[in-house]
Amino acid sequence: MSMSIYIHIPFCTNICSYCNFSKMFYKQKWVEQYLTKLEEEIFNKYKNEKINTLYIGGGTPSCLELPSLEKLLKILSNIKLQDKGEYTIEFNPEDLVEEKIKLISKYNINRVSIGVQTFNSRHLKTLNRKTDYEFLAKGIELLNKYGIDNISLDLMYGFNGQTKDELKDDLIKFTSLKIKHISTYSLILESNTSLFINDYKEIDPDLESDFYFMIINFLEEKGFNQYELSNFSKKGYESKHNLVYWNNENYYGFGLSAASYIEDERIVNTSSINSYFEGKTVREVEKLNRDDIIKYHLMLGFRKTKGININEFEKKYNINILSINNIEKLVEEGRLKISEGYIYIPREYLYLSNDILVELI
Amino acid sequence: MKQNNIRNFSIIAHIDHGKSTLADRILEHTEAITEREKQDQLLDSMDLERERGITIKLNAVALKYKKDGEEYLLNLIDTPGHVDFTYEVSRSLAACEGALLVVDAAQGVEAQTLANLYLALENNLKIIPVINKIDLPNADPERVKKELIDTLGFEEDEIVLASAKEGIGIKELLDTVVDKVDPPKGDANGELQALVFDSFFDPYRGIVASIRIVNGTLKSNDKIKMMATGAAYDVVELGIKTPKELKVSSLSVGDVGYVTASIKDIKDVKVGDTITSIAKPANTPLPGYRPMKPMVFCGLYPIESSKYNEMKEALEKLNLNDAALTFEPETSKALGFGFRCGFLGLLHMDIIKERLEREFKIDIIATSPSVIYDVLKTDGTTLLVDSPAKMPDRVAIKEVREPYIKASIFVPSEYIGPIMELCQQKRGTYINLDYIDQIRVNIQYEIPLSEVVYDFFDKLKSSTKGYASFDYEPIGYKESDLVKMDILLNGEVVDALSIIVHRDFAYERGKQIVENLRKLIPRQQFEVPIQASIGAKIIARSDIKAIRKNVLAKCYGGDVSRKRKLLEKQKEGKKKMKQIGNVEIPQEAFLSVLSMDED
Repeated sequence: MSMSIYIHIPFCTNICSYCNFSKMFYKQKWVEQYLTKLEEEIFNKYKNEKINTLYIGGGTPSCLELPSLEKLLKILSNIKLQDKGEYTIEFNPEDLVEEKIKLISKYNINRVSIGVQTFNSRHLKTLNRKTDYEFLAKGIELLNKYGIDNISLDLMYGFNGQTKDELKDDLIKFTSLKIKHISTYSLILESNTSLFINDYKEIDPDLESDFYFMIINFLEEKGFNQYELSNFSKKGYESKHNLVYWNNENYYGFGLSAASYIEDERIVNTSSINSYFEGKTVREVEKLNRDDIIKYHLMLGFRKTKGININEFEKKYNINILSINNIEKLVEEGRLKISEGYIYIPREYLYLSNDILVELI
Repeated sequence: MKQNNIRNFSIIAHIDHGKSTLADRILEHTEAITEREKQDQLLDSMDLERERGITIKLNAVALKYKKDGEEYLLNLIDTPGHVDFTYEVSRSLAACEGALLVVDAAQGVEAQTLANLYLALENNLKIIPVINKIDLPNADPERVKKELIDTLGFEEDEIVLASAKEGIGIKELLDTVVDKVDPPKGDANGELQALVFDSFFDPYRGIVASIRIVNGTLKSNDKIKMMATGAAYDVVELGIKTPKELKVSSLSVGDVGYVTASIKDIKDVKVGDTITSIAKPANTPLPGYRPMKPMVFCGLYPIESSKYNEMKEALEKLNLNDAALTFEPETSKALGFGFRCGFLGLLHMDIIKERLEREFKIDIIATSPSVIYDVLKTDGTTLLVDSPAKMPDRVAIKEVREPYIKASIFVPSEYIGPIMELCQQKRGTYINLDYIDQIRVNIQYEIPLSEVVYDFFDKLKSSTKGYASFDYEPIGYKESDLVKMDILLNGEVVDALSIIVHRDFAYERGKQIVENLRKLIPRQQFEVPIQASIGAKIIARSDIKAIRKNVLAKCYGGDVSRKRKLLEKQKEGKKKMKQIGNVEIPQEAFLSVLSMDED
């Protein structure tokens, strides 16, 4: 069985206004303690399996000072990555400096996901982020120089007051860079964020939907294929790690608030750094029965534009997918379609996928 | 206790003038409760009463009090203070010889002060006027004294000044009760006549009836008979409330207490009935009460149709000590099986709804309230219509008449303008305007009850910054140009949303309802037109736009449990909606005709 690993680094030198992930301000003392505990957790749980994909996310893993970054990568070098395994690290644009890039290439990282979000200065200010186009372009050159060409950028849209021209401007700039992958998300107002506290008003949902389809059309024209609800790539550069999630496959999650899916259990780690330091790692365990696993499979599989393979589904669960709940009704309504052995949500309903999913769970 | 040393009295007041606090203070002063048991508003035993700060059900308590070395038994009977509950007030007053009329030292005489005073006078009670809250910084006892003297005809030396909150004047008040209120008349050895003034159902003891002995003596194990229903029972338990229940072996003339007799059938005990003994029966029952008729009707439907029977039992139990509540089965195409319920007023309706949800745990949908229309058909027959669904076809109607009320509104004179404007808007006819004192007036209007049922209270409060007080009495039916307005969703009439409306107001109201519904009903998969129509004519339209975004795009770093939880939450929300055709409607939509904000 194939296996993947997610590593969470919760430190940031700058807190983004919309972020509700587990994160905290950078403190060198905590970083060192954290890495020790992380190593312990990996040692306790990882069973030396061959790993297909390894993903370091955050937080901001790229903000670790060089020695700490090296310490992290050394810890992770104990993990047995397969020959053509995908090894990703998330970077903030301002951290794309030569010594850090040199370091990650030395430790065989072959994919970098950069949190750009937007180049528009007004919206960057809303997000409390910094991104400079020229600096980023140079950073990407450097990555190429050290042999890393599998580069992904995050594109955010749906800021209050954003115009179609502004979005188009971002799209042009994003696609002008030498990248292979784009992840795109609308700005979501989450509680416990400074945007929420400051009474940020969300964008009109109709306009947001227009933006979404504008992005799809633009990126497809530029040769980026939409393979998932929020993800686009050049051929062969789909994120293998994210596909592990959408294919309902197993993975370890190590670090603060990281999620694992192992042997019919979905486990979420604590998001309290103190509990984590005390070794109380796990926050909740959801034990899944067959019915739950099928529900997760539907919920996740329908995120892929290709959809769910009907034969594989039957082989795995011994049930015809068309006989489940409301699926036949949804096919009749045209909200699900069948083609070439796959069942999927057609593009026009992708942005309404919750309406479909609530009828399946 | 000697009959001569018993005093039965109640407290009457306009809402918020401090009636329940005064009752609490009297309980403390007579040491009916210890310091440890102190809890605000002791007589208000329902949670709902404490929360809303109002008394709904009446309560009685027996208190011992010493004056000049002599011991007295004071029976205090609490009364509700809201206009909807006039009936309850009249019930408790029939069990008394005296009443404390409480008036707020800042606000003075209000609409319900007068209404309650007239009720007390009808019952021949001795009235003791009390000016309460004299400790408040804005209190003006001199002005209020003058009002009591000039408008209500009291003598200055009758008036007691008090602050229930600070405990001022309580002793004086109790002394006055002993001195001025008559002891109960009646013959302890005569034939038993006990007035049932309240009752409730106890799962262990059956029906517990609150009674006042008017003649004769009632003992444990007596065989008794309900004079109106003829039902006979053996007394199991007699007692008084102090306010804790205290068993006694007998209740005699003038006593206020309770009786249980293993009565399981709630129909056997009618509030207002007379209990007599089988051994030595009385010839005639006591006068009882004039029954109150419900004025406001609405459909109540359980959200889960399986709860229909449970809801029926709940309504029967509520009906036991709330005779003014009526209900009969009703079916709606949109909502299924439910009940057409009748209420004294809007507050009464709210309270029943809340008690069903809280005490009986039944989630309900309420349709918008209606009054009873008197319809004269072209074939010469007449029909009483308490629901828009029962309104006959337009061509079969010769004339529709609707109930009117006479409204008395007490308000500072600077608000005369806004009040008149509001009453005109509500199709009111001006009757009279009296100055109560130099700054306050009593404005009287005749208004269709159906207009009061809509948003009259809210409008009254907002247009007078809360200074207006309001009381009303029904004055009969008048002809009106009324039409039935239907609401269509996706082209289909939703019967539970129909209303009856004056033709001149139909267009405005139709527009407003359609707009309210558009805001309340979440976006659907398809565009859904909402229309208001009279007959075949569409008078207003709005559209619910098709939903275009409902997605969890974010990745959440592999935490997919979180995604599932968000979806489960959405699914729960969907369950609470009522599916009508292919449109999902939230509960609140059925009351949307009630809110008529112009914004």
